[in-house]
Amino acid sequence: MLKIIIPTAMLMPMTWLSKPNMIWINSTTYSLLISLISLPYLNQLGDNSLNLSLLFFSDSLSAPLLVLTTWLLPLMLMASQSHLSKETLARKKLYITMLIILQLLLIMTFTATELIMFYILFEATLIPTLIIITRWGNQTERLNAGLYFLFYTLMGSLPLLVALLYIQNTTGTLNFLIIQYWAKPISATWSNIFLWLACMMAFMVKMPLYGLHLWLPKAHVEAPIAGSMVLAAVLLKLGGYGMMRITILLNPMTNQMAYPFMMLSLWGMVMTSSICLRQTDLKSLIAYSSVSHMALVIVAVLIQTPWSYMGATALMIAHGLTSSMLFCLANSNYERVHSRTMILARGLQTILPLMAAWWLLASLANLALPPTINLIGELFVVMASFSWSNMTIVLMGTNIIITALYTLYMLTTTQRGKYTHHIKNINPSFTRENALMALHLLPLLLLSLNPKIVLG
Amino acid sequence: MLRRTLLLGLCRGPLGRGLGTHRGGSILDRDGKMSEIKKKIQSILPGGDWNPLYDTSHLPPESSDVVIVGGGVLGLSVAYWLKKLEKPRGAIRVLVVERDHTYSRASTVLSVGGIRQQFSVPENVQLSLFSIDFLRNINEYLAVADDPPLDIQFNPSGYLLLASEKGAAIMENNVKVQRQEGAKVCLMSPEQLRNKFPWINTEGVALASYGMEHEGWFDPWCLLQGLRRKVQSMGVLFCRGEVTRFMSSSNLMKTASGEEVNLKRIHEVHVKIDQSLEYQPVECAIVINAAGAWSGQVAELAGIGKGPPGTLQGTKLPVELRKRYVYLWHCPQGPGLETPFVIDPSGTYFRREGLGHNYLGGCSPTEEEEPDPGNLEVDHDFFQDRVWPPLAQRVPAFETLKVRSAWAGYYDYNTFDQNGVVGPHPLVINMYFATGFSGHGLQQAPAVGRAVAEMVLEGHFQTINLSSFLFSRFYSGEKVQEHNII
Repeated sequence: MLKIIIPTAMLMPMTWLSKPNMIWINSTTYSLLISLISLPYLNQLGDNSLNLSLLFFSDSLSAPLLVLTTWLLPLMLMASQSHLSKETLARKKLYITMLIILQLLLIMTFTATELIMFYILFEATLIPTLIIITRWGNQTERLNAGLYFLFYTLMGSLPLLVALLYIQNTTGTLNFLIIQYWAKPISATWSNIFLWLACMMAFMVKMPLYGLHLWLPKAHVEAPIAGSMVLAAVLLKLGGYGMMRITILLNPMTNQMAYPFMMLSLWGMVMTSSICLRQTDLKSLIAYSSVSHMALVIVAVLIQTPWSYMGATALMIAHGLTSSMLFCLANSNYERVHSRTMILARGLQTILPLMAAWWLLASLANLALPPTINLIGELFVVMASFSWSNMTIVLMGTNIIITALYTLYMLTTTQRGKYTHHIKNINPSFTRENALMALHLLPLLLLSLNPKIVLG
Repeated sequence: MLRRTLLLGLCRGPLGRGLGTHRGGSILDRDGKMSEIKKKIQSILPGGDWNPLYDTSHLPPESSDVVIVGGGVLGLSVAYWLKKLEKPRGAIRVLVVERDHTYSRASTVLSVGGIRQQFSVPENVQLSLFSIDFLRNINEYLAVADDPPLDIQFNPSGYLLLASEKGAAIMENNVKVQRQEGAKVCLMSPEQLRNKFPWINTEGVALASYGMEHEGWFDPWCLLQGLRRKVQSMGVLFCRGEVTRFMSSSNLMKTASGEEVNLKRIHEVHVKIDQSLEYQPVECAIVINAAGAWSGQVAELAGIGKGPPGTLQGTKLPVELRKRYVYLWHCPQGPGLETPFVIDPSGTYFRREGLGHNYLGGCSPTEEEEPDPGNLEVDHDFFQDRVWPPLAQRVPAFETLKVRSAWAGYYDYNTFDQNGVVGPHPLVINMYFATGFSGHGLQQAPAVGRAVAEMVLEGHFQTINLSSFLFSRFYSGEKVQEHNII
């Protein structure tokens, strides 16, 4: 594990000491190399986890997320080049440093053994994200967005700290490897109900669950592109990952306690998809679609069957890549037209045909077209929830249809039709942007050839 | 609770000594500091918009999809139609920047307020026809919940254009065009004129055209306020400031014929706040130039016209300020209530104002005697020399009139062909024009606003085809000359 952590930490001095015209090149190439180093972790053997040290380990759940995180850093750097070009050198380096710190914390979070260490790093990831959103965001509303983001997550996770300390006191350890054998089934007393709630709420807010999702559209719309990418791709998955880890301790109460959250997720899934149909702001649409996809993951994790876990992991990876790609596409639009409203920049297919191809592929991935892993994830979750209760198939089916509806709506509004007069002289797609989209799509397509890797 | 007890405790002091002489407030608030602290706390509490950095409530937002330069009737009309025609509601964010919030020099409110269909260009007739329909149904278009309905005081008295021998043939042609478009105009001979309007002296008049329906005059201030109210209720933001700079990015591109042109796109508008050095850069996708008489200056800010003359690059927006005087006089023996808006062959015009034998009128000066547009001072000698004699000759009762007051206003005069400029600029890709109407902008404002909104949202004119009013005609030289300009 150190072979990933030390290089990532060393990226920081490298950024500060690079020549001004080399900062982007250096950081992007070296972070790509680091992501290549993390690929071998995907070679997981059987049920056991790869125990790397006393502090770090990786198993088939955390390895794909680890690779996703390391893969995303070069992509974030590539995407941020344009909007940071007007800043001073120190600010650029500061931005890159923030991204690297976030990356470091995320790598350690996904591979943490102790749950307390996981918690500390989980909270620590909030700070660089908050700095990125509030300092480099676009509008004045970003302060409000940062506030919402910070306090929603903090309020949710403070009870988690208490719960973890209590479990440490009663069980004697919070080391993940030991606790999976040591956990006793807990009975349904009042204090255990609160314990369950305390453990889960932090991750529910992070996912986000439908009733607690208010921070997500704000944060996504106001964040700069790298912030949006890392939020959508990785930070949301922190919630899912944490939920999967902590439900081991909470059996068998989850069967009863999960009901209200299942209802919220199922209903919220359909609701947020419907909201997407009425959105006029492109980034806001993609943000709400994130909520909708994550609601599926919540349902999967709360059901706790092997198939649903497989579906949840696949969906997390797939959604991470797809959502991040959609945000990059929306950003390429925004940089040209300086407006996020969809109807003001129409008919892009005639002007930027290659970008239209990326739009098409990203939209098809978003609506879970076979044989992408989006479909595999969704299908597994739908099947698992059907076996949990027959009635959920109605809501799931509605959600799939509405997802297709709003994705195609987004595609046809931005790409098809006659272009408007005021976008006639937009810059053609840069190679950097095309490379960005290709690097997003390549893992997605390759994984459809071998989805076993991500099916934890 | 604590504060109240503190107040009680402290107030007993001066009350014991006798009634204090300070007005209002408590003894704690003597410096006004308490109310300041209270205001600060109130703004921090959730629900208020608190900005920890500094107060920016007087500044426009940092970004807006559409920025409309100029908040007169044309600018507000474009804002209204943009918000009305957008498919998903609330999609586009519109900002209207107006530097004169009392509208003291705006052409809209200084206008005589007439509306007619008697133009020579068919598009103008169509524009006026739609506008009168808008004005007739104004309370359906501009209704705002809980607000009283608008009364624009429309006097449907019609226009009477008089023509001498020379202009008679042109007038007949014009009336044919107007009738084709659907205007209700009738031609009158001098005897018919004398029968209908006995106060008129038909010497020198060969033909007259009288608009029988949909013509008259109305209150422009009411239209402006109605539009403003409605547009604010639709979510358009207003800003009181002046546009000082356009930040644009340019691309050197080749046209189909191999010519190199420099296409620009404005991505930021710097709005300077009144009487202050503060400015706010507003990031925008579209800019609409509806600055009226000052549109030429705004266009120059965007770099329109900076190039070798004779090329598209160097074609300026030919809109300039022209000062026009309007005089109000009283004449007890003057024409009665059915008096239309009379336009003499010499260019002098007058109309009835109110019910007390007051009349408004004026005359457009010739090119040589154009007054200096630097200020809005009225030249009364102009009335004596140029307006009164033809008036008195046409309407003998006006020999004994008494001028009550006068004012001056600006025409956004299009020196090229005195017709409006509508639509996008070919080189500065995201600047749209809605200006240059040379005196008939107010009456065509609703229709022009709709046309510009269609151009922005759809990409082409849908209801009224104004493609002959595009900017490119200044370069290609195709004049759309309007003959009936007063």
